[in-house]
Amino acid sequence: MTTKRIVIISAGLSTPSSTRQLADRMTADAVSIMRERGVEVEAQVFELRDLAHDITNHLLLGFAPPKLQEALDAVATADGLIAVTPIFSTSYAGLFKSFIDVIDPQALTDLPVLIGATGGTSRHSLAIDYAIRPLFTYLHAIPVTTGVFAATSDWGNGGDGVRSLPDRIFRGAKEFAELVERTDRSDLVSDPFALDRPVGHLVGGFTGE
Amino acid sequence: MQFGIFTVTDITQDPTTGRTPSEHERIKGTVAIAKHAEEVGLDVFALGEHHNPPFWSSSPTTTLANIAGQTSTLQLSTATTLITTNDPVKLAEDYAMLQHVSDGRVDLMLGRGNTGPVYPWFGQDIRQGLPLALENYELLHRLWREDVVDWSGKFRTPLQGFTATPRPLDDVPPFVWHGSIRTPEVADQAAFYGDGFFANHIFWPASHTQRMIALYRQRFEHHGHGTAAQAIVGLGGQVFMRKNSQDAVNEFRPYFDNAPVYGHGPSLEDFTQQTPLTVGSPQEVVDKTLGFRDYVGDYQRQLWLIDHAGLPLKTVLEQLDLLGEEVVPVLRKEFAKNRPAEVPDAPTHASLVQAKYGDQAPRQATPNANRGDNLTLGSPYQDTAVVDSSKPGSAFGAAATRKEFVR
Repeated sequence: MTTKRIVIISAGLSTPSSTRQLADRMTADAVSIMRERGVEVEAQVFELRDLAHDITNHLLLGFAPPKLQEALDAVATADGLIAVTPIFSTSYAGLFKSFIDVIDPQALTDLPVLIGATGGTSRHSLAIDYAIRPLFTYLHAIPVTTGVFAATSDWGNGGDGVRSLPDRIFRGAKEFAELVERTDRSDLVSDPFALDRPVGHLVGGFTGE
Repeated sequence: MQFGIFTVTDITQDPTTGRTPSEHERIKGTVAIAKHAEEVGLDVFALGEHHNPPFWSSSPTTTLANIAGQTSTLQLSTATTLITTNDPVKLAEDYAMLQHVSDGRVDLMLGRGNTGPVYPWFGQDIRQGLPLALENYELLHRLWREDVVDWSGKFRTPLQGFTATPRPLDDVPPFVWHGSIRTPEVADQAAFYGDGFFANHIFWPASHTQRMIALYRQRFEHHGHGTAAQAIVGLGGQVFMRKNSQDAVNEFRPYFDNAPVYGHGPSLEDFTQQTPLTVGSPQEVVDKTLGFRDYVGDYQRQLWLIDHAGLPLKTVLEQLDLLGEEVVPVLRKEFAKNRPAEVPDAPTHASLVQAKYGDQAPRQATPNANRGDNLTLGSPYQDTAVVDSSKPGSAFGAAATRKEFVR
C-alpha cells in the first residue's frame, strides 16, 4: 500500500476558526476517499497563525526559523496541498500571501492543490478563482477545478439550497484525491544540497558532464 | 588558522545617540579599525563592496592599498567583490596592482551582491547572476594565469591578444574565496577551481551552513584537489563583547533592534540562538566559535563582523582589544588541538609561491618593447617561452606547467 503525504495550511486568524473547520472537513473527505481506494494518507496540518511571527521574520531576514522551516519542507515535499484562507477585502488573507511569498518559487511545481476559502457572504466566492487560483497557477502547482467557498450562512441552512457545502467539499475532495493518488511527486523532490546528487548540473557545466 | 574581521561598510545612525557619521568619518574610521586589527594580533581584514548609500566602499582596492601602506602583516581581503557586475578585466588589473603594492598580502572573496538595481546600473541583468559569476570568474582566472588571452563569452566584449597588467606578483595570482549564502552552484564552482569557500554564516542557521560546507568539501575532493578535509573553508561570525555578559546584551540590544537587515525582526535572544551571533563575554565567544568546528570540520579562516549597525568607532576598537587579548589567543590554541596534520592552513602569497616554485626564484615579469607583436611572437614578456594557451581553465593555468624559464 502506498502512502501519500498531504499538507493542510489554514490561514484563519481567530480561535476557533471557521477556516480551520472548513480545512478539516475538506481533509476528512479527501482522506476517506483515498483510503476507500486503498491509498494510505498522512495528513499534516499547519495553522499559519502559529507561524505568523516566523513568517514575518523570514520576510525580513531571508531565512526560516525552525518551526517555519518544518512547514516549508513539508509543503515542498508533499503529494498534495489543501490551502484554506479567509477572504479579506476581496482577496486572500495577508498572512496567507506572506506564507506563499516565503515558499521557494520552484517548491510547488506539479503539486495538486485543493483551494478553500471562507467569507462573510457568498458574494465573495469568486475570490477563489480570480485571486487564489492564479497564485497557484503562477507557481506551477495544479489547483483542482472545484474550489470550496464557505460563507457564514453555509454553516446553517441559509446556504446554497441546491448544492450544499458538504456536496461541494466532497466534489473538490474527490478531484483532489484523484490527482494525489496519481502523483509521484514526493518521490521526485530533489535536494540541491544532497551529497549524492550527480555532478555537472551547473549552468554551462564545469566539467562538460 | 587565520582570524580577522570583515566590514560591510554601512553608515548607520547610532540608535543610542541619533548621530550618523559622515562618509569621510566612517572611511577614516574603517582604516583605523583595520590598523588596530593588526595591532591586536589579528590576521585578516576584509572589506565589502557596494555601489549605493548608505554604504561607502565602492572602490575596495583604493581603500585596501591605503591600509596596506599603513600595515605590515595584515592580510587584506574583500567581503565580497562583485564578480557579477565588475568587469573581470578591471578586477584582474586592480587586484594584481594591490598584490604588488602590498607585497602579496591580498586575497579576494567573490560574491554576487545583494542589491538588485546594481545589475542594471552596471549594464547587467540580475536573472543572469549565476551565469555572470561563472563566466566572469573563468575569464578572471585566465587573465591572471596567461600572459596573452584570446577570449569571447556571452557577457563581455571579446578580447584578442589582451594582456592584463601588471602580471600577478611573482606570477602567482591572489588566492580566491567564493562566498555564497544559499547557492550550491557556487560551492561547486569553488570546488572546481580548488579555491576557498566562505560561508557568511551570520544571518543563517548553522544547519544550512553545515550543508553548504559539506557539499563544497565533497566537490573539492571530486574535482581532484585533495581530500574533503583539505578543502579551504572560511566562516563569518558576528560578536559583541563586554567582560560581563549582561553588560554586552544591554549595550548591544538597541543596535540589534534597529540594525539594517535584522532590526525590527526577531528578538536578540531568538537570533542569538538561531544564528552564530554571540553577544556576551569573551568566553562565550570562544565557546560558540569553537562549536563551529563541530559542524563544518577543521577550517582555515574565521572572520567576524564587529562594526556595523551604527556602533561607534571607540566601541569597535574595544571589541578588537577583546578579540586580540581574550578570544583569538585562546582560539588559536584550542583550534590547534587535535587538528589533523593533513588539514592545510589558508593559502598565503608565501605558501603559494613555495608551492609553485619550491626553491627556484619566482618569475618576475619584465616586458619587451611593445611593437604590436604580442600575437605574432607569442609573449609580450622577456622571460617567457611561448605561452601554451591551449589549456584554458586548467586549475593552475599554463604558467603552472612551465618547467623552465627562457631568460
